Amino acid sequence: MPPEAVLAARGITMRFGDVVANDGVDFDVRPGEVHALLGENGAGKSTLMKVLYGVNQPQEGDLRIDGDTVVFTSPVHARRRGIGMVFQDLRLVPALTVHENIALAVPGMPRARDAAHALIVDAGQSHGITVDPSVTIRQLSLAERQQVEILRALMAEARVLILDEPTSALAPQEVDALLTTIAALRDGGLAIVLITHKLREAREVADRVTVLRGGVVVVAGRNPADFTDPELVQHMVGVTVPRLPEDRAPVARDHRPALEVAQLDVDGHDGRRAVSDATFDVAAGEILGVAGVSGNGQRELADAVMGLVASAEGRIVVAGQRVRPGQPRDALDGGAVHLPEDPVSDSVVGGLTVLEHLVLDGRVHPWGSLRVDWAGIEKEGALLREAAPLNLAPLKSQMATLSGGNIQRVLLARAFAADGLRLLVVAYPARGLDIASVRATQTELLRLRAEGVGILMVSEDLDELFAVADRIMVLHDGHVAGIVDPATTTREDVGRLMLQGAPA
Amino acid sequence: MTASDDVLSLPAEEGIREGLRAWRPGNAGGLARWVAAVLGAFGVYAMFLVLQGADPVAVLAAMADSAIGDAGSVADTLERATPLLFGALAVAVPARAGLFNIGGEGQLLIGAVAAAGTARLLGPDTAGAVALPAMALVGGLAGLGWALIAGVLRVTTSTNEAITTLLMNYIAGLILTWLVFGPWKDPDSLGQAYSTRLPDSQQLPSLAGGDLHTGVLVGLAVAAATWLLLRRTSWGFQLRVVGGNSEAARRAGLRVSRLQVAALAVGGLLAGLGGAMEITGVEERLRPEMMVGFGFIGFLASWLARHDPLKAVVAAVVLGGIAIGGNGLKVTAGLSGSAVNILMAVLLLAVLGWARRDTNAA
Repeated sequence: MPPEAVLAARGITMRFGDVVANDGVDFDVRPGEVHALLGENGAGKSTLMKVLYGVNQPQEGDLRIDGDTVVFTSPVHARRRGIGMVFQDLRLVPALTVHENIALAVPGMPRARDAAHALIVDAGQSHGITVDPSVTIRQLSLAERQQVEILRALMAEARVLILDEPTSALAPQEVDALLTTIAALRDGGLAIVLITHKLREAREVADRVTVLRGGVVVVAGRNPADFTDPELVQHMVGVTVPRLPEDRAPVARDHRPALEVAQLDVDGHDGRRAVSDATFDVAAGEILGVAGVSGNGQRELADAVMGLVASAEGRIVVAGQRVRPGQPRDALDGGAVHLPEDPVSDSVVGGLTVLEHLVLDGRVHPWGSLRVDWAGIEKEGALLREAAPLNLAPLKSQMATLSGGNIQRVLLARAFAADGLRLLVVAYPARGLDIASVRATQTELLRLRAEGVGILMVSEDLDELFAVADRIMVLHDGHVAGIVDPATTTREDVGRLMLQGAPA
Repeated sequence: MTASDDVLSLPAEEGIREGLRAWRPGNAGGLARWVAAVLGAFGVYAMFLVLQGADPVAVLAAMADSAIGDAGSVADTLERATPLLFGALAVAVPARAGLFNIGGEGQLLIGAVAAAGTARLLGPDTAGAVALPAMALVGGLAGLGWALIAGVLRVTTSTNEAITTLLMNYIAGLILTWLVFGPWKDPDSLGQAYSTRLPDSQQLPSLAGGDLHTGVLVGLAVAAATWLLLRRTSWGFQLRVVGGNSEAARRAGLRVSRLQVAALAVGGLLAGLGGAMEITGVEERLRPEMMVGFGFIGFLASWLARHDPLKAVVAAVVLGGIAIGGNGLKVTAGLSGSAVNILMAVLLLAVLGWARRDTNAA
């Protein structure tokens, strides 16, 4: 007899205007289990979690905690009843210390600094989380911040912990560490809800899975072992996701390379050397994957290739066109298109619509003439939206209001459709995308490859790199630790290069 | 809802959220909100008048009478609105590129000074048909140059343009003061500090024999042209990109520094032109206290209009009306004429408060 559910939602219906985001959804979680909630973007996962956390008040259905009906009118109520949530975009104050951030959310912390610090360290230890209460959040990596946020929820006496896509920005090792933490908390009796669209994670730690699709439950609290991966995917997307084509033409290396980089040194924002002596090339019609733990020079490398770093030194040639450091137009003129690592801060322009962003890639120059032919651009945009392998938000919507996934779709569609494309520099193409969109993106990358476009693809997802890359370049501490052939290399070998910078 | 057949359609939740945002007032009800904010400001001002022991109804009625009571007062209001409009446009163009031009005040003055200087250079015998366009041109260029200094400092030394444009107001004011007390002082002024009056031929003609000078029409035309520049040209679009996210603009291959300097320069040009209009249309001579505060009220007008050149016309007329209306305060309520500044300040806060809410919603 399994223990009683600590948190149970019954018949939750949540409408926004005419659209039903949750339709009669049942969901519960028991102490000492991990209940994974799977689903595509827009399946209603976030809506459901916001109902559980008191952000949304459902039109129908009820919530029970330990069998008692509760009504949450705000997250404050939910927290008081032991519901803790760790959002995808963490809610810590970067300028404050770990201690200060925890004290913001946890009532009754001791006033004395030393006592509070000791309390935090002790609490961390009992949950297997190591923290230094005195460091500011800004100094911590994303994974460490996440641990702080989890600890904060636990110290606020959460009995139910909701984790919203917690692994989306973590390196493989960090994912493993997080899953270990989750398993340990589960074994300690915590009830955990894990929102994800990654099957591997659900399999690894979840005792039960629920799949949402289009706002309704299609798989209700079943053991993940009852399903194969393709079956789960099919439940999530409602259709069979096509496989990637297996046979690909070999890379022809006799043409002019799409990108040549020699002895490239790049300094990071903090003045430290971020990329040292990088030499490599990307053939026309080749996908060169760039693997590495986040912060090992990927961002600086991609920016330097695009001519965005004035202080970079070394030789960069895009399809025969020399790129002078600090001259992004050189790279753009050479036929390079960039999808940066942080699209929200580097590509999204406040106040501009999706349509306006479609002409902003520096190649379809709306500034070629005095007047902008918006009617023509609108027509082109509509065609592009129809033809895009990814579903784009309406052209008139404000880009800045879109979710990360929808922003990524627009930027990908723009890059895929660029005229005269010779080199695509793309960081984390799958970020924020659902399975069907990821597959469509990968298929599109392979199409561009077949058309002779060189692709430099930064990713932390080794599965993705092994699926599409012709070669994988591993960065470690700004150095090229190795360039390997995925057909003859294992993930473990690549992992070792990522962590140690040298083969074992 | 059953499981969506077309699972690849735009994710439902996104659609809803975006739909809700589009629906928010501020798009459809923008005008209504604006009017509400203006009325709210008048309400707060009425309370201030009560505290001062004045009858708010009578005071506001008197203000309205001064501002729009008859054809003459309407003309006064429109004439006062004109330099405010130029001052607003000088703010609106750089604002598109994300820059704060707080130097409309100085740019207006330096435009007037340059126009007066041009007139001195040409001499009283030059025909108006030659002198007036020359004065407008040189006035505009002077404003451009004045703002250009701030623009160049901004992109070469990263000096905040809000500070430099603000401080350069004082320099412009001191130049004006020095000129009217010194080299350009009217020898027949009997000790008063002002420059020689422009000859009639070098003053802007009146419209159809009425009280309005033709500069008012120039202002309207320039506002329309600025609107076209910002809304319909690729340059205006580029400014929006730079203002929206300069890093994204750089990555799209835009020459961000050049655009920022140009935006400030165009702003200065418009203010300088406004200064030339004011001296040839209203002032007729330089005096130290001319156009005091006009640049700042223009700044206010641009923010009230959310940097839209056409809405700035309305904002400038409203503020011009308030300023003219303030002239009657002393007579009717025994209040200082500058008491209307309180109304303007409240107005700014009310409208900015609403605009801010709008920004958060977006």
